[in-house]
Amino acid sequence: MDERAAVEFRNISVRFPGVLANDSVSLTVKRGEIFALVGENGAGKTTLMKVLYGMNRPTQGEVFVFGSRLEKYDPAYSISLGVGMVHQHFMLVPSFTVAQNIVLGREPKKSGVFYDKRAAERITHELIKAYGLEVDANAVVADLSVGAQQRVEILKTLYRGADILVLDEPTAVLTPNETKEFFDVLRGIVSEKGVTVIIITHKLNEVMEISDRVGVMRAGKLVGVCNTNEVTSQQLASMMVGREVLLDAVERSTTVGEPRVVIKDLNVYDDRGLHVVKGLSLSVRAGEILGVAGVEGNGQSELAEAITGLRKIASGVVSINGVSVSGLGPGEIRALGVSHVPEDRLRTGVSAPASVADNLLAGKQRDNRFARARIHRRSASISRYVDEVKTQFDIRAAGSDVAAGSLSGGNIQKLVVAREFSFEHANVLVICQPTRGVDIGAMEYIHSLILAKRSDGCAILLISADLDELFRISDRIVTMYEGELTGEFVTGETNHYEVGAYMAGAIGGVNHDV
Amino acid sequence: MFKRMSPAGAERARHSLSLAIGVLAAFALGAVIILATGHNPLEAYGALLKGSFGSLRAIGNTGAKTVTLCLTGLAMAVAARAGMFNVGGEGQLYLGAIASSMVGVWLRGCSAWIVIPCAILAAVLAGGFYAFIPAVLKAKLKVNEVITTIMLNSAAILFCSYLVNGPFKTSESGIAAGTDALLPEYRLAKLIPLSNLTTSIFIAAGLAFIVWYMMRKSVTGYEMQLTGQNERFARYMGIKTDRLAIISMIVSGALCALVGMFEVYGLHGRFIEEVSNEFYFDGMLVAMIMRYQPVGIMLMSVFFAAIEVGSASMELAAGVSSELVSIIQSIIIFFMAAETGVRAIITDRNARKALIACAVSDAADGGESNA
Repeated sequence: MDERAAVEFRNISVRFPGVLANDSVSLTVKRGEIFALVGENGAGKTTLMKVLYGMNRPTQGEVFVFGSRLEKYDPAYSISLGVGMVHQHFMLVPSFTVAQNIVLGREPKKSGVFYDKRAAERITHELIKAYGLEVDANAVVADLSVGAQQRVEILKTLYRGADILVLDEPTAVLTPNETKEFFDVLRGIVSEKGVTVIIITHKLNEVMEISDRVGVMRAGKLVGVCNTNEVTSQQLASMMVGREVLLDAVERSTTVGEPRVVIKDLNVYDDRGLHVVKGLSLSVRAGEILGVAGVEGNGQSELAEAITGLRKIASGVVSINGVSVSGLGPGEIRALGVSHVPEDRLRTGVSAPASVADNLLAGKQRDNRFARARIHRRSASISRYVDEVKTQFDIRAAGSDVAAGSLSGGNIQKLVVAREFSFEHANVLVICQPTRGVDIGAMEYIHSLILAKRSDGCAILLISADLDELFRISDRIVTMYEGELTGEFVTGETNHYEVGAYMAGAIGGVNHDV
Repeated sequence: MFKRMSPAGAERARHSLSLAIGVLAAFALGAVIILATGHNPLEAYGALLKGSFGSLRAIGNTGAKTVTLCLTGLAMAVAARAGMFNVGGEGQLYLGAIASSMVGVWLRGCSAWIVIPCAILAAVLAGGFYAFIPAVLKAKLKVNEVITTIMLNSAAILFCSYLVNGPFKTSESGIAAGTDALLPEYRLAKLIPLSNLTTSIFIAAGLAFIVWYMMRKSVTGYEMQLTGQNERFARYMGIKTDRLAIISMIVSGALCALVGMFEVYGLHGRFIEEVSNEFYFDGMLVAMIMRYQPVGIMLMSVFFAAIEVGSASMELAAGVSSELVSIIQSIIIFFMAAETGVRAIITDRNARKALIACAVSDAADGGESNA
C-alpha cells in the first residue's frame, strides 16, 4: 500500500446492461494532488467517480480510500471516509441562505432539537475563512451568481469533512475570469489544507493549467496517466479520441446575404416576471453565424424563446424573413422557416419518455409523406425515414423504439440536431448551447453540420457559453450581460479575454445598433 | 429474460407478466380468505365463473357490464393520453343520462329514428360541454383539472337529483326520483332476453374502434401522446397543446355521457337518481391498471365485468360474500400499483442519470445507447 495514496482503484470493472462502462481500471490518486480525469462522453469517467462516491457498485475490483478498503458502496459510507463530490448540477435549496444550505442535513442544534441559526452562521464563517472561498453567509442562494453557488457547493462538501474533493465539470458554467478565480481558490485549498482534488473535465486547456497529473479514459479503459507538464493538449486529445483531432479555426463566411432575423428594441420577461431582455436589437443575415456570448442566465435563453414563440414578446419587434412574429405560436414561427435547438435538451429538446422515432418525427407528423390526408400515420414510411436519419446523423440507440431519455447526452443532442436540421424549408436556425456536455468527436460533427447550414445560406444565431465554440465557428460575436448587448466583435479581431470581460459585465456599454 | 425483445416489446411483456402475477396472486389470496371463512374456494370460483359465463343470460350481463367499463375506461385513457386527468366522468355520465332522457320525454311521439340520434347528440353535447369547462380552465388559467373535475362531479349529481325531485319529477307513482318513462319503442333492443345486454354494445364497439384508431394510428393520437408526455416539448415542436387537451377532454366527457345514455335507454327506460353506481371510477381503475392502452382496457373490462357479475352467483351458490370480488380487485390494483411504483423509482433513476449524462461528460451509465 502506497502511503501517499488518497484513492486507489484496483482493477475496477462496472457493467451496465449492454455496456462495460469501466473495464479493469487501476488508478492511484496521490494525497494532496490535483488529478484531472479526461475523456469523451461515455468513456466512463463519471462512472468511475461514482464508484468512489458509493453510487455505483463495481462488478469487479476494489477501491481503497486512505488505505482502507471500501466495504460497501453507499454514499454515506464514502462520505464518512472523507470523499466529497460536487455534481455539475448544483444541489442547493434556492430559497435557503448560504449558511442554511451548508449545514443542511447536519444542522447544529440547540438543546438537541431546534435549529441553531447563530451556530450555522458561525460555522459558515469559519469555513469561508479557513478555505478562502468568498461568499456571503446570509445571502439567499437564488440571488447568487453561478460561480458563488459553486463555492457554496464546495463549502458544503468540505463541511461534511471531505478530504478528497471530486469535481464533475466544475467550470462548465463559469466565465473565463471566474474560472481563473476558481482555480486560484482550488490551488489554495490543496496547498494549505492538503485536500486531494479529482476534477472531471472536457476542457484540455484547463487540464494543462490546473492539474498535477492527468488520466485519460476511452471506452471504459484508462488509456494513460501522465504528469501534466510532460504532455501537450494535442497529445491528450488524440489519446481521448484514439485518433488525431484537429479543432482548427474555420474559414469565415464570405457570402453574406440579406438580413433574415431582425430584432428591434426587444423586451422580454422571465417566468418570475423579471425584466431579462432589455431593449435588445440585432440582426442576423443569410449565410452568417452570429454568436451570442454570455454567462448563462443573462437573458439568452429568454431571447431564444422569444424568437421561437415559446415566450411572449413584451415589446419590440422580432421579424423573420420580413414577417413580424408577435402573437404567433411556435408552430407558425416554424412555418416561417425557423428551426430551434433549445438549451435544455431534456426538458424541451426531446420528449424523454417518447421513443427515438417519435422524437425524430416531431414537427413533420402532418407532412403528406408521413400522414395520409393529415390523419392516418404512414408507419412504414415513418420508420424508413427514422432509420435514414439515424444513420445519417450517427445516432446510437439500441433501437428506434427506445425512450429518447435513455440515450447518452451526446446522442440526445445529435437527435435534436438531426430533427431540427432536417426541415427542408428552414433558413433561420436558433441554436443554443449545441455542444454542452458532448464529447470532442460529436462536437466536431455538430460544428460541421452548423457550418454546412451556413454555406446553404441559413442565418444562424448561435447562443453559447463556450467561448472556444463561439470563436471557432461564428463570424461575429456579440456579448450579452444582464439582458443587454454589451459589445460586438468580428471574430478574428478579438480574443477570449476581451470577450470574457464584456460578457462578465466588466466593460462595455449598451449597443443598440448591431 | 426480455433481452432479445425490442425494448418497447419487452416493456409490454413485463407489464403483462406482472399483471398475470397480480391476478393469480389475487385469486390465491382470495382462496385463502374463502378457506378461512369456512368455504370451498374451488366451489366459490366455480360459481363465480358460472355466474359470469355459465348461461346466455350471464354472458349477456357480463357483456353489458363490459360496455360500461370499457367506455368509461377509454374515456379516462383518451384524456390521460393528452395529459388531462379526468376524474369528472361520473358527473359527465349523469348529465349525459339526464339530457338524453329529457330528449326522449320532450320528443315523445316522434319516431325512434329521430329520438335516438337526438338523444345521442344531447348526451354528447351535455357531457362534452361539462368536460370542456375544466379543460378550458386548465388550458387557459392552469387550474388543476383533478380538483375541478372532482368538484364538478358533485355539482352534476346534485343538480340531476334536484331536477328529478323537482321540475322533471315523474308523476307516476312508485318511482322515488326519476323522469317520466321513455316510450318502449325508444328503448334499445335487448340482444339476449332477460339480460342487460342491448344493442348499445354495437355502438360501443364502434366507439371503441374509433378511440383505438385515434390513439394508435392517427396523427392526432401521436400529437396527444407528445402533449401528455412533455407538454413543453410538444409546444416547442409547434403542436397546439391547449387545443388538443381540450379536445381530448371533450371526447372523454362525451364517452362518459354516452354510457349514461345507454343506462337510460337500455336498462332503466328513464333517468333515475341511481343511474350510475360510481361506474366511471371502475373504468378509471381499469384504464390505470392497463396504463391507458386501448386494447388492454377492452380486455381488462371483460375480466372486471365477469368477476363483478359473477359475484352475486358466488354469494348465492357458495355462500361467499360478493364483497370478496372487491378484495380480489383491490389486490390486483395493489399489485399493479406496486409494480408501477417500483418502475417509477427505476425510471426516475434513469431520468436522473440521463440528466447528469447530458450535462456532464460521461454517459456510460445511460446503458443501451452506448452499446
